[in-house]
Amino acid sequence: MSRHQPGSAFTNQAPPVHFPHWRGRVYAILGLLVALGVAMIFTTAVGSVQIPFSTTWQILLSKLPLVQVTPTWPGTLETIILEIRLPRVVLAGLVGGALSLAGATYQGLFRNPLADPYLIGVAQGAALGAVVGFLLPSPWHNMGFGIIPLLAFVGALISTAIVYTLARVGKTLPVTTLILAGVALGALLGSVVSYLIISSGEKMHGIIFWLMGSFSLSQWSEVKVVLPYVVVGVVVILLYARPLNVMQLDEEQAQQLGINVERLKLILLAAATLITAAAVSFVGTIGFVGIIIPHAVRLIWGPDHRFLLPLSVLSGAIFLILADVIARTVLAPMEIPIGVITALVGAPFFLYLLRRRRRIIF
Amino acid sequence: MKLKSLGVIIILAVLSLSIVTGCQPGFQPGTFTDDLGREISIDGIPQRIISLAPGNTEILFDLGLGDRVVGVTEFCNYPEAAIAKPKVGGFSTVDVERVVALEPDLILATSIHEAKVIPTLENVGLTVVALAPETLDGVLDNIILVGKITGRSQEASRLVAGLEERIKAITDKTESLPESQRPRVFYVLWHEPLMTVGSEARIHGLIVKAGGTNIAQDLTGDYPTISLEAVILANPQVIIAGSGHGSGEDSTFQFAKTEPILEDIDARRHDRVYEMDADLPSRPGSRIVDALEFFARFIHPELFPQI
Amino acid sequence: MQDVCLGYGRKVVLKDINFRVMPGEMVGLIGPNGCGKSTIIRALSRIISPHSGKILLDGKDVSRVPRRDLARLLGVVPQMPLLPSVFTAFEVVLMGRNPHLGLFQYEGPRELAITWRAMEKTGTHSLAERRVSELSGGEIQSLLMARVLAQETKAILLDEPTANLDIGRQVEILDLIRDLCRENSLAVLAALHDLNLASQYCDRLVLINNGRIQAEGTPREVITPRNIKEVYGAEHCVYTHPINGLPTVLLKAGNSQSADMEERGA
Repeated sequence: MSRHQPGSAFTNQAPPVHFPHWRGRVYAILGLLVALGVAMIFTTAVGSVQIPFSTTWQILLSKLPLVQVTPTWPGTLETIILEIRLPRVVLAGLVGGALSLAGATYQGLFRNPLADPYLIGVAQGAALGAVVGFLLPSPWHNMGFGIIPLLAFVGALISTAIVYTLARVGKTLPVTTLILAGVALGALLGSVVSYLIISSGEKMHGIIFWLMGSFSLSQWSEVKVVLPYVVVGVVVILLYARPLNVMQLDEEQAQQLGINVERLKLILLAAATLITAAAVSFVGTIGFVGIIIPHAVRLIWGPDHRFLLPLSVLSGAIFLILADVIARTVLAPMEIPIGVITALVGAPFFLYLLRRRRRIIF
Repeated sequence: MKLKSLGVIIILAVLSLSIVTGCQPGFQPGTFTDDLGREISIDGIPQRIISLAPGNTEILFDLGLGDRVVGVTEFCNYPEAAIAKPKVGGFSTVDVERVVALEPDLILATSIHEAKVIPTLENVGLTVVALAPETLDGVLDNIILVGKITGRSQEASRLVAGLEERIKAITDKTESLPESQRPRVFYVLWHEPLMTVGSEARIHGLIVKAGGTNIAQDLTGDYPTISLEAVILANPQVIIAGSGHGSGEDSTFQFAKTEPILEDIDARRHDRVYEMDADLPSRPGSRIVDALEFFARFIHPELFPQI
Repeated sequence: MQDVCLGYGRKVVLKDINFRVMPGEMVGLIGPNGCGKSTIIRALSRIISPHSGKILLDGKDVSRVPRRDLARLLGVVPQMPLLPSVFTAFEVVLMGRNPHLGLFQYEGPRELAITWRAMEKTGTHSLAERRVSELSGGEIQSLLMARVLAQETKAILLDEPTANLDIGRQVEILDLIRDLCRENSLAVLAALHDLNLASQYCDRLVLINNGRIQAEGTPREVITPRNIKEVYGAEHCVYTHPINGLPTVLLKAGNSQSADMEERGA
């Protein structure tokens, strides 16, 4: 420790190597963007039906506006690639990115490494809505739009609203009461869902499959609905990355540094909950992504949210796209629920993290 | 002479017309309503059919359409020929890629596919008809419907006629039985948890037609759980246990036969616990009438000794 | 530019607190443990609101000023803050620039330079790459000083800024604070435990006791034997510094209830 000299004396040391650190992380973001594109193309080429890669490539190319490729492939292959696989890959990317970002946001807001996007009852609310949707009689299902995602979304929003109302103390939203209220309501809703499942008869199988999360039967119409919610939510959260850094100090200090803590909590919670609800409503509750990916990113690239957040989005998207490929090809034509894949990968990774506690990562 | 040749020409013309309109007498293109209330229009005789449920597969093979079937589920195990067909999915999960790759012109689904599978398939332009019969008569109607859609109306009518005869042979004797002569029947669907059939299940209809009383008839839903106490209280005189479940398992039957708590009920004391291949009464195909006949023999051996 | 504090009370912890801090002036807040020094600091930075009365900063009511503007005017060095253990020292000090950055702005080269300079001034620049979890209490306190310097405010509140430091660093830090106070005309209010440091460095002192201001004025006026005895219960400790004539408190074993003398440990 050098001694302070009176007056303004600058040592002639230059500021240390911060810029390269940032540069490295920026490169990482770019790298992951490229990786995402590559992953999407490759996973579109893989499926339970064998399609040569060159054909896939040509089909994808032919859809680009200015490219001219003469079709030499049967229409069914094009249908499979463009109407069945591609929406699925895109949706997996969106959901993976959304859940990872929501998880990172919750972990940052609550300053708690165990936070995940389902902490405050979103998943259970969506599950309840979806199960109700499943149990509705036929006429409800013929309305031209999906009744299940709609009810799941509504359920997610209602349960979040309830938790928020329960947890509010005057004008503030204490973090611990929020978590407690979320866990309590989640448990209550979960038991209702369990009861409904038991009494659902032949639909039980479909419901359980949905709850474990699945990208099968994804359509472009679903992607179109999920996309705006996720994009808006992601943009909002990314913009608040720097204040989220400052929030890692306790709330008093953050306030003293000029952060309007209550407003920030509200905005970030709303955005994170929105993208989680949108993701879960169409796809079911996929576990581990929201909690593991942010930790992995933190371990590799550090806790600075300006990089942590975008890297989480990209990593989560790639992870889920790859997990989905595994889910649909390993036991074709049967599909493994994607929650199983993420748990199989996530659980050992979690244990690995625990073993590395020597190097504190949170 | 001229008249005769004119007549020949006319007959030839009619025949060729019918060849043009679908190759077989009995097929009319048109709009059909399936069991989910959906309207589907079929323009030509389907040549490549995919079945998404074992019951549908059985109907297709019953009507002699086996060679037109290009895809079935993992669980379609009857008849033998179905096992060799390409697989497109499991119970409620369907591999849409494989379905599309097989280029079907007709897909037979059921009610569990309603939520997601059917919209997805229709989204890529495929024709889906859903069969979801709630009663034995519903199954017969389905057979007729499939016959109409596939241009096998005659076979369907013949098949249904035969089935109706067999059914009638039973109901003639059981319809008029008063309550006191209807034994209490407990159908064990599964033993962990203990599940039986409620008033909305097809099997319930079988029990009634076979001249019995379902002890669970007041339970709502199609496959409710029931407690052991309720079974003991109801004191069934006949127990029928479903076995097989795709794996040759008979644990449910063993449970019914040996569970000590049930020692004192009538069915056990008079040794009237019967085993049955679970597929027969559960699947909505023509074999359900086989199941009915078994039920009749189990419940009223005195009326139906020869089946 | 003044911190003006009019009467206020909070669960009747403190009553009728009135004092002023002028720019270029360093005012010390002294009193026994738990007398409410931290409470005053928190009220001034709008963490808690007064039951009655107003707090004015630069003539404006503190409760009306948007937080970010408030943070540009007033910086706080808290006593035992929670710091995220994975951030580096540099990143923590960099957070001090937050009030000057627009909502969606990121830290640019200017921010980095200011941060770096603040760390040099406090002698913490060698810690820049180290994680917070690896730093000692004293290093962290210096870091907090650097952060408030980086914040470039017109007024600074300090809650026990020297509690964990050895004598040498205490003098360094307080010298630094006083220099900055004079050079940049900052208004500085420091809650201090150590009466001697308060006496040496502060232009004026405010002595809090029993929820009220016991005395206010220059160190000579406030640190009197009578006051010390009344507030701290220690007798015969006030002497005069041999070099600059300011009041000095010295211990003598056998003086009962010398509760005020925090060990200025090594």
